[in-house]
Amino acid sequence: MKRTTLLGLVGIALWVVNMLPPVRSLIETTMTSQMLVQLTMLTMSGWFVAHLVPLHVRDHIDRWNAQGIAGLLLATVTSMVWMLPRMMDSSLSDGTITVAKFVTVPLLIGVPLALSWPLMGFVVRGFFLLEAVATAFRLGWLYLISPERVCVNYLIDDQQVLGIVMLCIGGVLFAYFGWKLMFGTIRT
Amino acid sequence: MASLTLYPEDERLVGASRVAFNLYMITAIGLFVILMIIGLTMRLSQAMWFEVQVDLFYKLLSMHGTGMVGTAALSTTAVMWYFLRKYVNLHLWAFITNYVLFMLGAVCIIVAIFIGDYGALWTFLYPLPVNGMGLWSSYTAALFMAGNLLIGVGSLLFYFDAAAAIIKKHGNLGRALGVQWLFKGTIDPNHPKAVVASTMVIIANSLGILAGAVVLVMSLINVFYPDMHLDALLAKNLTYWFGHMYINATIYMGVIAVYELLPRYTGKPYAISRPFIWSWSASTLFVIIVYPHHLMMDFAQPQWLTIMGQVISWSAGFPVFLVTTFGALQNLHRSGIKWKTPSRFMILSLFGWAAGIVPAILDGTVRNNLVMHNTQWVPGHFHFYLVLGVLSMVLALMFHVTGSRTQTPPNSSADKIGFSFYLIGGLVFVLAFLAAGHMSVARRMATHLEQWIPTDKMGSIGATILILGMIYFAVRISIGLLRSPSSSQATGASSSSSSQ
Ligand code: HEM
Repeated sequence: MKRTTLLGLVGIALWVVNMLPPVRSLIETTMTSQMLVQLTMLTMSGWFVAHLVPLHVRDHIDRWNAQGIAGLLLATVTSMVWMLPRMMDSSLSDGTITVAKFVTVPLLIGVPLALSWPLMGFVVRGFFLLEAVATAFRLGWLYLISPERVCVNYLIDDQQVLGIVMLCIGGVLFAYFGWKLMFGTIRT
Repeated sequence: MASLTLYPEDERLVGASRVAFNLYMITAIGLFVILMIIGLTMRLSQAMWFEVQVDLFYKLLSMHGTGMVGTAALSTTAVMWYFLRKYVNLHLWAFITNYVLFMLGAVCIIVAIFIGDYGALWTFLYPLPVNGMGLWSSYTAALFMAGNLLIGVGSLLFYFDAAAAIIKKHGNLGRALGVQWLFKGTIDPNHPKAVVASTMVIIANSLGILAGAVVLVMSLINVFYPDMHLDALLAKNLTYWFGHMYINATIYMGVIAVYELLPRYTGKPYAISRPFIWSWSASTLFVIIVYPHHLMMDFAQPQWLTIMGQVISWSAGFPVFLVTTFGALQNLHRSGIKWKTPSRFMILSLFGWAAGIVPAILDGTVRNNLVMHNTQWVPGHFHFYLVLGVLSMVLALMFHVTGSRTQTPPNSSADKIGFSFYLIGGLVFVLAFLAAGHMSVARRMATHLEQWIPTDKMGSIGATILILGMIYFAVRISIGLLRSPSSSQATGASSSSSSQ
């Protein structure tokens, strides 16, 4: 089997596993795991599935995706929607939003990111990653100081745990990119 | 190693590069003059020689502070670009985009101040901007902060492009900084100092802008959702981390002009050395962690941060400053330097840096900060190293480039008179601030007590003399830069040698 097909199948499998009711209910019991585990895995499934896009279609998309900016924009705007606590909340109780989550996160975040990443130069990637670190810090800070619960389905302590984890993620990413830029090998 | 040819071929400005460089420098010198006149207006009003309404004073102070910090960054970015492009492949689009974003940010800031009446100063310290107490709305504060964000994004774009180019050539930022030669190995004599300094600035300022981007967006959220109360001390730490690094980086970008140009005027090579690499590596770290010296009077600040602020203040500026001044003096010694306007400004800049750093170190000591904090000692220190240090570095390059048309560095009698005005006026102006600080005159005060007025008057006189010199420079440099290049340059004829 070709590597790309294999990766595509891994993506589909990841998506299916995330859909399984026991897995879903386990992950969705806490705000932290819904946001950081489920959304990440769905994004990854989309990233892998993008390997199934035939080369000629990719070429066609690339023409509309200079420097990967169009794809990045699509992924960013979609992520903004799924960063809203209200959306995460509704995805637990409203079937339409649940379907939207399982469709849009892989297809409108994972796939465009995978298609755009190879096209991005150092500057665009740098901006994207720096903004990712800044967003982790900002969201972490916000969840920690928010005076009220932002989700009906989760308690405030869960929200604060998410805040701390986000700050840690920001810190780890920051240290990793810093080390890589200073001493690592980088493709520009 | 930096060239000894006065106007080397690889520095020639042609076509779009020339337009971009001229845009930067003419905008910068024009802004400097306007903002200095605003500064003089404030000083005259403190001296009671000119009446300025209190609310207008704070608008002027906000404009002067933000504008000067931004313009210092804009002009020193042009210095960095001018030299760095010879060693690595910079993209002109990034340089120009930075300019465009800067101008857009400047428009937001000007509108926020003069139409929206914003008066919470360039440090936008939480929660002051959103508490306009009826003088300005929180939307105005948001516009001011958005303007700052735009300027930060522009700088980042330029730094990332520069980082990409440096990494492409040197592998990673550590190697560009020269850390592989810290303990062993033969230093590549051709490793450009411009690359070392630029790398330091990229590292420090990107971190600073990251902190700024976090605190600015959080403050913006607070504008629209006031229930989200930020931790004021954390916000202050981030704000000063950003602010200190942003303004500090200007001298590290500006000094590239000294490294590159001084040997051309002395005719002596200015070699890279292990102490040089050590000092830049150490300062890269120190400049990142020195900012807590701005928060020494914040009793809630963790003690270790305050201690670090003091210890690092005593060492942060020293390595680079020592190695630069010592290196420059060595380069100058028995060199038979050609005393032209650019070389005069270079030596002045080293003096401004050296002398300006001393009051800063004094104030960075907890015991002294107890009495000096927020007195005019602070504007005394930073005007010293900004006016006589950073600006002199920029003026050195500006003057040098105006001479490229005839391949002769400018040195007219009018230049010499202008220089004397700048030097004497500048010294009187900054010493007046320091004298006021010595008397514990509070900074950022629209109205002054009777006893404070003598130093205000002295400062006003100094500033007036300085500005006269600066207006002459602005006209002279703008005309010099706008004049078309000579035919020999346009056709790419070889440049003159150092024998000039
Ligand atoms: C003729 C030249 C100048 C004059 C007359 C002038 C005047 C002033 C005055 C009166 C203040 C307020 C002092 C106080 O707190 O009581 C001030 C603050 C300041 N100036 Fe200048 N200045 C000049 C040049 C510059 C330059 C060249 C820079 C930077 C490149 C600069 C940057 C600043 C900054 C950052 C502040 C602090 C603003 C604040 O406190 O928020 N100034 N200046």
